Amino acid sequence: MWNYEKRLQYPVNIKTPNAKVAQYIMSQYGGPDGEINASLRYLSQRFTAANRVCMGVLNDIGTEASEMIPGTFPARKLFLTNIRAEDILCL
Amino acid sequence: MSGNSNGMQTCPSKEELMKKINEHSFAVDDLLLYLDTHPDCEKGLQCYRENVKKRKEALKLYAKNYGPLTIDTADECASKSWEWVLQPWPWENKGGCR
Repeated sequence: MWNYEKRLQYPVNIKTPNAKVAQYIMSQYGGPDGEINASLRYLSQRFTAANRVCMGVLNDIGTEASEMIPGTFPARKLFLTNIRAEDILCL
Repeated sequence: MSGNSNGMQTCPSKEELMKKINEHSFAVDDLLLYLDTHPDCEKGLQCYRENVKKRKEALKLYAKNYGPLTIDTADECASKSWEWVLQPWPWENKGGCR
């Protein structure tokens, strides 16, 4: 289950807006190598894990991967804060 | 809220305390994964215990002085209202939990 902690696993502190980096961060969120994919894969695999250690690790790294999702969103949001329209149009 | 009339140690700044929480939480997250595959490591267990204790204390102190970060400490601050929803979120530019 999800129990929210009002902080990020690693502090996000972005002063300069950058649409390109925001776009890149978005790819870490979804897509074939994104965190959503990884977390759901681990959390599904744990049900048929070969042994208890494997089951536990899959549960805990699946949790860890899903923690990355709330981390990527604020990073993307802050990279886009105060961005100018021309910065997005030239992507 | 941050009065220390009871002679306790003065509370560190919001940034300092958040840094401490982040450091101990990171250690706990990492130790959890390590202990999953090394469940009998005495040194690992001891390290886990120490970090959990310090993390808990720091979270409690933070909630009391600057607002809650976890649901377990949501009632620590001397407020009659539900501070959880009134305090800033990590994605806000200015706020207590960054």
